Amino acid sequence: MNDNELITVLREQRGTVLMTTPVEQIISRGRAVRARRRVPGVAAAMGTAAVAAVAVSVALPASHPGASHPAAKHPATGPGLHLTAWTVSRQADGSIRVTFRDATDPAGLQRTLRADGVPVSVTFTGHQNPACQPYSSGSSQAYVPFGSKTGPLGGPGFTSDPKDAYSTPDALVIDPSALPSGAGLQIWTSGTPGAADNFQLHVNLVQASPQCTGS
Amino acid sequence: MEAQRPDFGEFYREVKDECLFAVLVSVGDRDTAQDLVAEAFARAWASWPAVSRHPAPVAWVIRTALNAGVSRWRRRRREVPVPDLALVADRPAAGGASGDCVDPGIMAALLRLPARQRQVVALRLVLDLDTEHTAHVLGIAPGTVQAHLGRAMAALRDDLIPAWQEENKT
Repeated sequence: MNDNELITVLREQRGTVLMTTPVEQIISRGRAVRARRRVPGVAAAMGTAAVAAVAVSVALPASHPGASHPAAKHPATGPGLHLTAWTVSRQADGSIRVTFRDATDPAGLQRTLRADGVPVSVTFTGHQNPACQPYSSGSSQAYVPFGSKTGPLGGPGFTSDPKDAYSTPDALVIDPSALPSGAGLQIWTSGTPGAADNFQLHVNLVQASPQCTGS
Repeated sequence: MEAQRPDFGEFYREVKDECLFAVLVSVGDRDTAQDLVAEAFARAWASWPAVSRHPAPVAWVIRTALNAGVSRWRRRRREVPVPDLALVADRPAAGGASGDCVDPGIMAALLRLPARQRQVVALRLVLDLDTEHTAHVLGIAPGTVQAHLGRAMAALRDDLIPAWQEENKT
């Protein structure tokens, strides 16, 4: 018996174990999963083609210097532990990780990121900041849905969280030192908060300016 | 959203059994595997607009199931139970309550492999994913996938072929 025959025998075993859970039960459980994402006021979201998505619990480390000021008042899950709308944390390599749970308190997120050295504009109103101008340098000006693996998310400045590449992205990793000179970030939303099908969180490069990114 | 359900149902019917077998090979326990696969498909349904456009939806399901297994293990702070190999080998080849008829000798040989090798076998050989997707799902380098696969094949040959030759003699 050679390797091919061995592989054939192994593959023949695929049909010998039967998944007996009815599809109706799977869908019922799926509805519960989806409902859990739609906590009140939350914009947990799945985008259209490129996938936008938010969610996943966040524990706010009280001692972290860049810790966020949660806008949404989520229930506490235990002593000293609160779920927050988002968390900003600086990683060992100097990059900044933003984990999203809720699209609220854009001013707080903007303030926190700017304090950590990121020139950024954050709006959760469904519209971009009119004071922001696209950063005009090659592909960097591309419109980039959050979580996309293409465009600037895979380029200089920021990347999608690699460990979540095969699951729903919930975090954005920003490397301020890798941002092009004169560029900042714009984080904004579109669609209807709470509507899983058309709500998206976007990140794109903009020209840094006092009116847009604060510097 | 309602219109997407038939597509999901078709996807589920087409791949559910091979996904279950792949996860069973990875985690070694039938009930645990079924729970993990069911949870993964539920999450796939909840994110179906995105998952359906994934380049390898089956890989997404398996990755999610394996991640759910890791999360479960962390919550319980104990190992996912692996069945006693002797019990596996002694299990009747045909049908339990679920109708399974997996070859006990093959399953026992698979369960004797290290966990990572089992996962590679499940993805590369059972699900027929290519090396790149397998590496992506497991978070390892493509070369590492090849190395694990090579070792796993050698171990399975050593384990299974003598037994089959013995059977043929008799």
